Amino acid sequence: MFSKKKDDKPKKTVQDEATSIVDQAVEESAHIFNDEFREELRNRGRLRFEKAINENSMFLKQDLEMTVSQLNDHLKNGITQKLDAELQAYASALKDAQELALQSLQRTATGIEEQRAKLTDSMTQFAAEREQLLLKVYEDNMAKIVEHYILEALGDQFDVKAQLPFIISQMEANKKQIMEDMRL
Amino acid sequence: MSHATAHEFKLPPTLISRVDVSRLGREVESVDNELESQKVRSQAKGEKKVDYHMPATSQALSDFLELNTVDMTKGQERAKLKHDLAVFKDKAPIIHMTFASQADSESLQKLVAWIRAEIHPQALISVGLQPALVGGVYIRTPNKVFDFSLKQHLHDKRSIIVNQLEGLLRG
Repeated sequence: MFSKKKDDKPKKTVQDEATSIVDQAVEESAHIFNDEFREELRNRGRLRFEKAINENSMFLKQDLEMTVSQLNDHLKNGITQKLDAELQAYASALKDAQELALQSLQRTATGIEEQRAKLTDSMTQFAAEREQLLLKVYEDNMAKIVEHYILEALGDQFDVKAQLPFIISQMEANKKQIMEDMRL
Repeated sequence: MSHATAHEFKLPPTLISRVDVSRLGREVESVDNELESQKVRSQAKGEKKVDYHMPATSQALSDFLELNTVDMTKGQERAKLKHDLAVFKDKAPIIHMTFASQADSESLQKLVAWIRAEIHPQALISVGLQPALVGGVYIRTPNKVFDFSLKQHLHDKRSIIVNQLEGLLRG
């Protein structure tokens, strides 16, 4: 590609020669790097660049997926741990609350049982007293009823003449007291 | 001979209450007036001795005069009797007796006879009526009360009913 033409030109200086080479190289390069070549290079470059981009994109995607996966795992673990801790705390609190509720229920049950026992004793005593009272009232009233019945039934059936022996016997029994009072 | 004083009166069974004594006093007063009239009329006629005609008297007065040997023809005895009866009416010991039904005269006479024989010879009784007593008698002396009524008797014996009821309840 870079061949020299010795016959067509006179002997020149080194500097001229160098300048000539450069010019030639420029000319040749202009000839070599024409539009087609450039387009080809551009296409190649584009393709290479696209390839590199695709590769990098794929790597980036893989990294991203991996990162996302790791992030998901991390989040999952974090959330799971957090949830476990919260659930344990909740379970502990629930257990404490249950124990407290149980103790409260036991205390309430004990209190109710004591109150029931007291109430039972009180009711038993009250019932016994009430029974005695009712019995006494019944006895008193029954005696009054019987007495009232006798009084009403007899009415004024007794005349004084028939009662004289009874009256005199009663006065005889209390004669001493009557006499003493009459002497005063 | 003078008759008994107010503290020595012998009372007939027919003289039961203070009302009877008052009635007796009024009757004595009436008899006295009558005899005084006879005396005045006799003196007006110039008779030396008065021939008294005793007016008809009640059984109570007759019995009383007989028991106490009072000669009503003597003016002084009549005057003394009137005075003593008035005193006796206020001073006589009285026993209040309340009955469940109206007491007949015969029963009252028997009662007052017993009282005068056993308790006090000059006792009078004041009779009351209280049907609620049912039977017996409620006696009130000056300072004491004696309930011999059937009502009180039943009340005192109420324990018998109660005991019987308890026996029935206990089977």
